[in-house]
Amino acid sequence: MPLSDVKMLIGGPQGTGLETVSHVLIAALAYNGYGVLSGREYHSNIKGRHSYILLRVSSHEVPKSLTYPVDILAAMDPETVFTHCADVSHSGFLVYDVGGEDTRLDKIVSMESYTRQRIEKRLQREGVEPVLGKLVEYLESKGVKVVGLDYRSILSELRERHGIAPHMLSRFTSSVIVGAIAGLIGLDEESLRAGFSHRFAARKQLVEPNVYIAVKVAEHVSSKFGPRLILEESMLQHEEYMVVSGNEAVAIGKIIGGVRFQSYYPITPAQDESFFLESHEKLTDGNRQLGSVLVLQTEDEIAAIAAAMGAALAGTRAATATSGPGFDLMAEGLSWAGMNEVPIVVTYYQRGGPSTGMPTRGAQSDLFTALFSGHGEFPRVVIASGDHLEALNDAVEALNIAERYQVPVIHLLDKFLANSIATIPIPDTSSMTIDRGKLVTRVEAPLNYKRFSLDELVSPRAPLGYAVSWYTGDEHDEYGHITEDPVLRVKMHSKRMRKMELIASEIPEEHRAQLYGYTEPDLLLIGWGSVKGVVLDAARILEKKGVRVSYLHIRYMSPFASKLVGKAIGRVGVDRTVAVEHSYEAHISKLVAMNTGQRITKEIVKFTGRPIYTHELVDAVLRILDTGEKRVVLDYGA
Amino acid sequence: MERSPTDYRTGLWVDWCPGCGNYGILAALTQALAELGLDPAKTVIVSGIGCSGKTPHYVRVNGVHTLHGRAIPFATGVKLANPELTVIVEGGDGDLLGIGAGHFVALGRRNVDMTVIMHDNQVYGLTKGQASPTLPYGVQTKGLAKPNIQGMLNPVLLALASGYTFVARALATDVKHLKQLIKQAVKHRGAAFIDVLQPCPTYNNVYTAQFYRKTVYRLDEDPDWDPVVRDPSQEHSKKMAAMAKAHEWEPRIPVGVFYHNPLVPSFEERLQSRLGNYLEEPPARQTIVSGSDGTPVVNTESLRRMLGAKVITVRRSKRAKPVIAPMP
Ligand SMILES: Cc1ncc(C[n+]2csc(CCOP(=O)(O)OP(=O)(O)O)c2C)c(N)n1
Ligand code: SF4
Repeated sequence: MPLSDVKMLIGGPQGTGLETVSHVLIAALAYNGYGVLSGREYHSNIKGRHSYILLRVSSHEVPKSLTYPVDILAAMDPETVFTHCADVSHSGFLVYDVGGEDTRLDKIVSMESYTRQRIEKRLQREGVEPVLGKLVEYLESKGVKVVGLDYRSILSELRERHGIAPHMLSRFTSSVIVGAIAGLIGLDEESLRAGFSHRFAARKQLVEPNVYIAVKVAEHVSSKFGPRLILEESMLQHEEYMVVSGNEAVAIGKIIGGVRFQSYYPITPAQDESFFLESHEKLTDGNRQLGSVLVLQTEDEIAAIAAAMGAALAGTRAATATSGPGFDLMAEGLSWAGMNEVPIVVTYYQRGGPSTGMPTRGAQSDLFTALFSGHGEFPRVVIASGDHLEALNDAVEALNIAERYQVPVIHLLDKFLANSIATIPIPDTSSMTIDRGKLVTRVEAPLNYKRFSLDELVSPRAPLGYAVSWYTGDEHDEYGHITEDPVLRVKMHSKRMRKMELIASEIPEEHRAQLYGYTEPDLLLIGWGSVKGVVLDAARILEKKGVRVSYLHIRYMSPFASKLVGKAIGRVGVDRTVAVEHSYEAHISKLVAMNTGQRITKEIVKFTGRPIYTHELVDAVLRILDTGEKRVVLDYGA
Repeated sequence: MERSPTDYRTGLWVDWCPGCGNYGILAALTQALAELGLDPAKTVIVSGIGCSGKTPHYVRVNGVHTLHGRAIPFATGVKLANPELTVIVEGGDGDLLGIGAGHFVALGRRNVDMTVIMHDNQVYGLTKGQASPTLPYGVQTKGLAKPNIQGMLNPVLLALASGYTFVARALATDVKHLKQLIKQAVKHRGAAFIDVLQPCPTYNNVYTAQFYRKTVYRLDEDPDWDPVVRDPSQEHSKKMAAMAKAHEWEPRIPVGVFYHNPLVPSFEERLQSRLGNYLEEPPARQTIVSGSDGTPVVNTESLRRMLGAKVITVRRSKRAKPVIAPMP
């Protein structure tokens, strides 16, 4: 029977074609109308370390989360098989290179010793000799269907046919993998050609040799290794998709939202956003230039936020993007933005800390950094996005809020979202608006302009160039000149601080937090950011098991939807409320307590740097319900 | 419109110590602004933190008093967002060369069209007299408990090495000369730096106004001194000459223009050649809303065309054709 949902893991050394496999497959699948979500795990390394893609494709939705076990484990190298031997379903497929069968585990130098020891122990327990060939036999004995291909001889055929130089051949390993997967799930030649053409749009000469191999392998696999995992025809109605990473979704939101100045200092996992903006710096429509985005790589993050603020003062929609270490450097600047009511957006991609921590892995442990960093009190809005579409829309919204209320806005994301790729519909801009707030370019008495007029909470803002104004990090009067007068201080400081109430009153709580599911479930899960997808998927699975789970998704970390959240928890009771987070401390519980007085004492957390997978969340929820456990620490994944 | 220096003063009480060199810099600055006839609304003074950092509040043009050391990146954002503005940075030696040294260097590399005026009093004034990066090793000024244990940084050399295309030094008390240099620096298209020797009578009793009066000499007194690069082939030799001059300190300290190279493209020109429309439509001047209803100018249609490489059109017949061999 054709399948509606297929999960696969493709692994290999970093920098040897995984990117191509992922790109081609996703394009080919989208070409057939499927919804795809794919995540990437990689070391802080450019070439050689083990990396993998976890990909999920569905005929009836865009998948919201990733999960194990996978139906297909496709290995570019022996290390992948060793590392992921427990990740493949016992009725699944293993695609591997028979040429590597003699490889011994202890000969794999790119593997960390801790990982090797753990795998060694596991194999020992199962009585398996740590040699690839033996491991494959073992997996086969467990029911895994083994697709052994001789990568080298497949590639040398290519050499003869297409005259590819021997040292270039290994670059085509990716098409062996793509072909094997195509054969298993039933992708035809046209789809493969579409996938490769998309990948190699700029290097068309690469399309045919790659298609040749992929089709060859696909034919071989589909005829030799059946029955396969044929995907049913897609039921999704989309006529076109955009294939974007979270970074790109934010960048596209910024383009639509009118960012015309973006400064940044390179840092994982934020840099891809600025890279993307730079490669699309000229905003064109046919021959018409609609504008341009000036992307400035600064000397550090301190300069990045300062330059963005300078551009904002001059009237540009300006933003910067960074992650933890860089955001720490921006803290002083953020405080200046608060004092000077500068509309600025800082896109903050969390990763594993403290310090440089796990620089290429994900986390949600910077919630309070985003909320409280910077000295003194000042209003700030912190928005956290749960998925690709939210990320895109929130980027636009963050820019509007920054200008509407003249406050710094932090757009909080995480590595999981930043680096995962999804098929989304082409953004519909007809539902989006740009609100520039009280931006004025005509000032009656430009030499007597009160930038910080106390007449209103949000003063009319004339950019530099239209009137004479002063800004200072010190407390200031209505003109922007320094003052230490106590009475004026009370007025100015209150004016700024009271904006928070204004924002809270104008943005409905239902917009700032959303309840998914029943109002009185068996269990209420609370989360934010990329937790959203996995909880919603887990809830569906639990439902089938007779457990009713609701999800309270917090989108605005500040201003917090205190009443809505308080009520939702109150109805269910804190005893039946569980925080879910990629952190040790489940910070969201503290934030809820601060804002509602309700102390959540149950939590499901994960801080391995890998995302929470659906299957482990389902298990964790059942454990909490069955055994009354208060805290479950998840750790699945390589 | 004729403007006088007093038109460029705010009338706020100036809270520098009596005898401070900053008064001379303020006078020279307002005179230069007046003589250049700059529109106050289109002129921006960006400062850091310190005694020098307060300068913008005394000048009636836009003033952005930023964070300690950060004036240059703020100014860079302002200028690149709207290159029509005249941007002048005022900073202390601690500000620009201590905490802000990385930004100081970066500006030279970029050659953004702006002027940096450094109030060089060799001390941290506002925090009560600690040694700044321009105080020589072994010197003990009034406020120091011990002689300076760190070495001196040469600002003129650093500016030359970083790529500033106009590099000068002046004495704060010679208002006329400083004014002249500020005017030249502002007119120069590129990153301009003026190291202003600024006596601080409160904390620096070594490098005093009297000291400078005795030691300073003008580069332009030498009829053969020509710091201007008129042809790319002169770039190297003129920079070398400037560097040699910059090495002079005691007993005689040169002031005037060390190096002036108008041939290096400014950052704005570089952006223009990359973005095409940068100077006509810089970031701050671009329309991002179409019409009055808030519709973004970049809409679904333009996005689809612009990001074509990200778009996949789903094929009509989604069913896989049996090109691949049937299952056995
Ligand atoms: C990040 C930071 N560190 C320290 C200070 C304290 N601070 C205020 S003024 C100043 C020194 C200013 O010295 P300089 O730049 O030489 O200017 P001057 O006062 O001599 O004009 C310092 C260190 C600060 N404001 N910010
Ligand atoms: S401390 Fe020095 S630099 Fe500061 S105002 Fe007084 S004299 Fe001027």
